Amino acid sequence: MSASPLDQVAAATPVQMATKIKGLSDRAIAWIFVTPTILILLAINIFPLIWTIRLSFTDFRVNRPNAEVSWVGLRNYERVLTDPDIWTAMQATAHFLIWTIVLQVLIGFTLAYLINKKFRGNDLWTTIIVLPMMLSPAVVGNFWTFLYQPQIGLFNYAVSFFTGIDPSSFSMIGDVNLAPWSIVIVDTWMWSPFVMLICLAGLRSIPDSIYEAAECDRASKWRQFWTITIPMVLPFLMLAVLFRGIENFKMFDLVVQLTGGGPGSLTELSSINLKREAFEKWRTGYASAYAVILFVTVFGLASIYVKALNRVKNR
Amino acid sequence: MAEVSLRGVSKSFGADNALDDVSMTIPHGSFVVLLGPTGAGKTTTLRMVSGLDRPDSGDISIGGRSVIALTPAQRNVAMVFQQYSLYPHLSVRENLEFPLKSPILKTPRAEIDRKVGEVAEILQISHKLDNKATELSGGEMQRVSIGRALVRNPAVYLMDEPLSSLDAKLRADLRIELKNIQANSGATLLYVTHDQIEAMTMATHVGVLDHGRLVQFGSPREIYEDPVSIYAASRLGQPRINILPADCFGGAPKAAAFIGLRPEQIQQGEGEESFVKRVEHLGDQTRLHLSFKTHDLITVTDPHTQLDSGDIVRITPRNPFYFDDSGARLV
Repeated sequence: MSASPLDQVAAATPVQMATKIKGLSDRAIAWIFVTPTILILLAINIFPLIWTIRLSFTDFRVNRPNAEVSWVGLRNYERVLTDPDIWTAMQATAHFLIWTIVLQVLIGFTLAYLINKKFRGNDLWTTIIVLPMMLSPAVVGNFWTFLYQPQIGLFNYAVSFFTGIDPSSFSMIGDVNLAPWSIVIVDTWMWSPFVMLICLAGLRSIPDSIYEAAECDRASKWRQFWTITIPMVLPFLMLAVLFRGIENFKMFDLVVQLTGGGPGSLTELSSINLKREAFEKWRTGYASAYAVILFVTVFGLASIYVKALNRVKNR
Repeated sequence: MAEVSLRGVSKSFGADNALDDVSMTIPHGSFVVLLGPTGAGKTTTLRMVSGLDRPDSGDISIGGRSVIALTPAQRNVAMVFQQYSLYPHLSVRENLEFPLKSPILKTPRAEIDRKVGEVAEILQISHKLDNKATELSGGEMQRVSIGRALVRNPAVYLMDEPLSSLDAKLRADLRIELKNIQANSGATLLYVTHDQIEAMTMATHVGVLDHGRLVQFGSPREIYEDPVSIYAASRLGQPRINILPADCFGGAPKAAAFIGLRPEQIQQGEGEESFVKRVEHLGDQTRLHLSFKTHDLITVTDPHTQLDSGDIVRITPRNPFYFDDSGARLV
């Protein structure tokens, strides 16, 4: 007797199991599929968050696991918020955040606008432009230290080529005035293409016929740009800003590789500062409070921003 | 308002000849309908006049001035697009105001409000003025898109199937409305459709296009009563003209290959026998589907006819059209 493979599987399946699976409701099956994800999320995301909040009210130090841990209430928060070093780090972060976003939006949108003009080889140009985005931030940070090198660096050479300044007379990384800009430049170099890609998606979503209608309605190119292009790309642009804002708020690897937070602690962004408190000074409770404050800040800012974004979208 | 004329206009897209040596004059204040199936070159003609596309050769003038080198804005044309092309991020009101806010016009605020209100009233969209353009139904979008043209006072209105997505009643209303607007304002209007009722009811002139060539240009009655070819004759008339081999009936000229019979060119009650296959009562008219010597033909009869399928009707041609074997009319 020759049975089909399907029949063989059916015959081999124990009766009890078959009816059990058959008896599951859709709801139960949905839970079966979702549960592993929920468990993993709880284990590696939600639990550490709650644990961090708990630790932030104690004087626990992770390098002294056997020491007695005492409850200190809000004292860690008090100390974080009154620590001038932390405000310096916050200022460095704000400087980095604002300038990278401003520059990346301007450069990213301009590139998208130019690439969107139909010309030969624009696919090739798109590929070339997005290359920096594909590199690892640590690698980018590392090789820019060479580009910024005063004697042999390409960056210094280029500046001297265009301005005539002696290339070895300045160091982007070492100078107290230039160092905050050195990280802005590298991040902009790396991530403007990302803003460009998202803006390009926005620009491509505008049908030609809308520009044709505007053309017939006697709108100048300038008016078309401000009344059609900008409003219709704005939701995309705002989304790009949200991504870049969140990413740069927690910027770590690129800056650590490039400047290591120096000179002094001038380019020590909050996340780097936090890592020092937690894993170099081992002030776990204090660092937990710091982390909670940063989390609330990002979360709050992002929520306000997403509300604004939705308003723009539904306009 | 102005006269529009095309002289020897040709345009091809790759190997595809979209327009082939089209010449016509659209008189000042006329309502010209371009008729033809998809791909005949109707929309291309419109885009040439608007300036959105440039012809490969030939000249276009508006008001006696060649506009071939001018942009759509400089030509002062208003266009209604088939796919609406509303500004999706703006409200209906802002869409209608858009052309009036052109810096070229400098329309005062009160004037803008008056015009927008007036046009919204005509198009029955007053209650939707503050909705976003994307919240409208297809028919409403189409009306806004017509409205965006009507708020202006251009040299010529260009409309690309503006009534195609409206329901029958609204379409009938707007047909009359558009005709009134055009007649009262003396506007020159170039209108593309494949709906022959729109052509018959609104047009002062009809241009029949076939594969990029203008095959006939004249009043709707001229085209209906004096078509130059089978193709032109088939564009107008409901039910369509019946085309049969010329030798079905006696008396055909020697060169004739086909005979064309509109319903009113088929005299019933005398002549040769035909067989009634089907009777369609449409209310105001009754259609007869006849079988005549293995050929099918459709004609119209008395609305209260007693005829039924299976009956025999005698028919004979009355002043029919004769066409040669290329489809051209023999006169």
